[in-house]
Amino acid sequence: MLKLKHHQYGYLFVAPFIIGFLVFGLYPVVNTIVLSFTDRTLMSSSYSYIGLKNFQNLFADSTFTTAIKNTWQLWLMNFIPQMGIAFLLSIWFTNNRLKLRGVGVWRMIFYMPNLMMASAVAALFFSLFSFYGPVNQFLVRSGLLAEAIDFLRKPAIVRGLVVFIQWWMWFGQTTILLMAAMTAISPSLYEAAVVDGAGTIQMFLKITLPLIKPVLIYILVTSLVGGMQMFDIPYLLTDGRGSPGNSILTNTINMYMKFHSSKGHIGAASAVGLVVFVMTSVVALLIFFLLREKHDQSAEADR
Amino acid sequence: MKISYRSMTILYRVFIYLFLVILVVITLIPVWMLIVNATRSTVEIQQGISLLPSKYLFSNYKILLSKGLDLPRGFFNSLTIAVLTTVITVYFAMLTAYGIVGYNFKGRKSLYNMIIVLVMIPMQFSIIGFYQWMSKLGLTDSYASLILPSIASAGSVFFAKQYLDSIMIQDLIDAGRIDGATELGIFHRIMLPIAKPGMFTMGIFAFVAAWNNFFNAFILITSRDKYTLPMLVQTLRGDVYRHEYGAIYLGLAASVVPIIIIYFLFSRYIVNGISMGAVKE
Amino acid sequence: MKRLFGFLAVLMVMSLVLGACGTPAAPATDAPVAEAPVTEKKTILNVWSFTNEILTMAVAFEKSHPNVDVVYTMIPMTNGEYQTKLLATLGTADVPDVVALEAAFVKSYVESDFLADIGDLQKYADELKMYPFVYEVGMADGVHKAYAYQATPGALFYRRSLAKEYFGTDDPVEIQELLGDFDKYIAAAEVIKEKSGGNTYMVSSNGDFQNLFFANREQPWVVDGKLTVDPMVEKMVETVKIFRDNGYEARATQWQEGWFAGMNDTLTDAAGNPKKIFSYFLPTWGLPYVLYPNSTSSDGASTTKGDWAVIEGPLPYQWGGTWLGVMKETKNMDLAKEFIRFCTLDEENLTNWATGVYTNEYLKAIDPTVPEDQYQAAGDFVGSQVVVEKITASFDESEMSAFLGGQNSYGGFAAAAPSVNARLMQGSDDAIQRALNDPLNSFLEGTITQDEMWTLWKDAVRNEFPDLVIE
Repeated sequence: MLKLKHHQYGYLFVAPFIIGFLVFGLYPVVNTIVLSFTDRTLMSSSYSYIGLKNFQNLFADSTFTTAIKNTWQLWLMNFIPQMGIAFLLSIWFTNNRLKLRGVGVWRMIFYMPNLMMASAVAALFFSLFSFYGPVNQFLVRSGLLAEAIDFLRKPAIVRGLVVFIQWWMWFGQTTILLMAAMTAISPSLYEAAVVDGAGTIQMFLKITLPLIKPVLIYILVTSLVGGMQMFDIPYLLTDGRGSPGNSILTNTINMYMKFHSSKGHIGAASAVGLVVFVMTSVVALLIFFLLREKHDQSAEADR
Repeated sequence: MKISYRSMTILYRVFIYLFLVILVVITLIPVWMLIVNATRSTVEIQQGISLLPSKYLFSNYKILLSKGLDLPRGFFNSLTIAVLTTVITVYFAMLTAYGIVGYNFKGRKSLYNMIIVLVMIPMQFSIIGFYQWMSKLGLTDSYASLILPSIASAGSVFFAKQYLDSIMIQDLIDAGRIDGATELGIFHRIMLPIAKPGMFTMGIFAFVAAWNNFFNAFILITSRDKYTLPMLVQTLRGDVYRHEYGAIYLGLAASVVPIIIIYFLFSRYIVNGISMGAVKE
Repeated sequence: MKRLFGFLAVLMVMSLVLGACGTPAAPATDAPVAEAPVTEKKTILNVWSFTNEILTMAVAFEKSHPNVDVVYTMIPMTNGEYQTKLLATLGTADVPDVVALEAAFVKSYVESDFLADIGDLQKYADELKMYPFVYEVGMADGVHKAYAYQATPGALFYRRSLAKEYFGTDDPVEIQELLGDFDKYIAAAEVIKEKSGGNTYMVSSNGDFQNLFFANREQPWVVDGKLTVDPMVEKMVETVKIFRDNGYEARATQWQEGWFAGMNDTLTDAAGNPKKIFSYFLPTWGLPYVLYPNSTSSDGASTTKGDWAVIEGPLPYQWGGTWLGVMKETKNMDLAKEFIRFCTLDEENLTNWATGVYTNEYLKAIDPTVPEDQYQAAGDFVGSQVVVEKITASFDESEMSAFLGGQNSYGGFAAAAPSVNARLMQGSDDAIQRALNDPLNSFLEGTITQDEMWTLWKDAVRNEFPDLVIE
């Protein structure tokens, strides 16, 4: 009887979310999905349903596949070092043996880049690396380069810049998230492990990692979602079209270009959004599947 | 044996501090260059970057004032939106997540899956659809359209649920029930205190996002007296052919300060929240 | 059950609190409408723009129309906020009455169904002899939908001292003779390169003059739904290639430090060797807002003030500008039209605008809440030939004329304006031209062939315009 009652409470707890979503969130989502099957432009009030034509156009178009490839590349290249640094920092910061000073201050400093406005950051890096910018001056005057390079016209360098800026802006936030998860682990667990003679690495693998797995999944999935929708920095760093040579053309820039072309092809843009959504969902599902399986197994093994 | 262990720790610590200092330099140089721009004239900014402050801080400040921007009002508006959004995001995310984690009701799995799916949706350009929907509801040019959608913030529920998964203790809840606490009482008095580090983490991110969100705010808000601080700073770019970059950077720097303060206040709890003792053993 | 009830009560209180968040907004939106008729009986006119400029006009308009309250909303377009907001409001009840439209997107609105026909204003345009290109931009299928107060013809600015050094004269007439078309311009670039030993560049960035070729095409980009390349575009590619291969351009980027540094003679290459720029292509607004403020280096040590002159240059063109249109849904059609007539086609207003009558004191006398920074300095180039002819002489002694070594700044543009035409302008121009930029640069760098360049460009255009026929 008591249990049944609990079930009812569950509904009440989630009711505000559902109502909030129905009132505010549902329409834009449905609207986007419906639009992806139309030739709707924002500059005209009439439109018609064209079935899967938008999607056929996309897959016939090399720009679209380039964008998907770029997005993956840019995300993976900044996510892996970002996780690496964030793990190191959060382990150090939460380590009771090390007792580092000024953890709050360090963490604040590392989070600062996230507070900077993307357009100001992009403008800054553009100036630094422009043909007449300080990086060229430094490299040529110190003899490292024979003559100035147009850095922002070199695909590899521009990609590297985007990766660096993304890493720079987000590793602080990832550190904070990991720390929040790690501080939730009781110190007595580590104390017991130390008594048992466990090393740092062992403790990390056996205690920390399994216990923060849920938050880790969160970081992984949201970073994936954010990465697949990467926009601001690659958009603002060069010409807003992913130049040079479409090297930093991401999914969302591609979508934005359709949406902001003179007529505003919102139907075609929505189709890009829908494909990106499906792709992200499939990968996220995979992440859940892989990590959840192991998690349950280890939980069973613990018992 | 013991000495070598201690000296190892000291060595390790020195190495870590060295690493941190290098990382701080990498992190701060670009930030510093942006902040220094607040003290430089527009012509200086257009003609290059500098690590050294210039002498135009005061004249930039005067330009900022001459634009007739009601900065205190913008600050108040920003604070209102950011605080309400943060409270609503965190509270309802925790409520929803607790509902899913704590109660085994029918459909909870599919509900959670649906929430995860919502996280994946690229929202950037559904702003047009959102605007038109708000227009139908008569909520354009009102803060409601900026604040209330955070009741259903899928990303935050996702975080709250994952976080609760890692700290949830059924024993404490059951103990609470035996003591005769109401279900909502258990949530408020047992669950929320335990989840403090997670809540404040979520809170910081929600606050920063709400504070810095000027793009959507520009789309949804039209009346000048409802503009937020970052929106007012953006209006400094209102002269297409003549940007007062010095004043713009000063405005950007000024609008970052409040979030740094909030961050410092909040972040203490990320570490200290768990001080109530052993949670998951 | 009791607990459940308590829970429900909390939910209800919560929803009340939330409701309260929403309510203060509701009266606020109604407030101006509700208040105005009672207190002052003013008609509200909503004007949206992406600049603060038009606020000056709006205040002046209120002086001659005391029963009107112009509600002015400025939304920046730095990150596309203005365009997105405008697109979002189309077809909703929130559309403004009058909208400002920038050169890059004015044509797509003019071509759409959203702007009203305001052709009955054309008689004023004819009376004031508006430069045809100014109203041509606001026309689609013979219907007038937008007008502009300014004309933004482009010109060529060059350094007098360098002209003397390389050509033996700094006289604008003679220099115009020397640079009168692009073949001459290329030949002159070679002379400068030779005589300066490669230390003076003809132009700072090739982006400076691409516009000129686009402005002088004989066919639009889109003919009967088909993407078309005019010979002038091919000529542009050829010219840009010559400039890059022969080192006639400094390889700077517009709006970046190298570009600005050339204006005050502080440009140095990465190794520290000083370089000079002979000429800049800039329109009317480029003189007071770009060239003039950057003519002195930030440390004040180097200045080129007084060393400039202006000529029409190799080809006529125009760059930038702000147009005003009326949204079809407006409830105040006549007033909105009157506002546009006042701003763009009123002799007195245009004269005041161009000659510095609209000082801050002037505006404050009408509306005390106007910010201190709000005023219109003398010198903006207006779209009416009648006004231009009447006021040009008044700029003989102006600061800008002193900057140009005594040449009348207004006169320079007056000479360039009549030959500009904008008949070929289409909504898709901006996107199509921007799409060419990246492939063109790859071609210049030698990483792709010209054929590959055209293919890449067509791919990019196809991506943005799914319904365009591209061969």
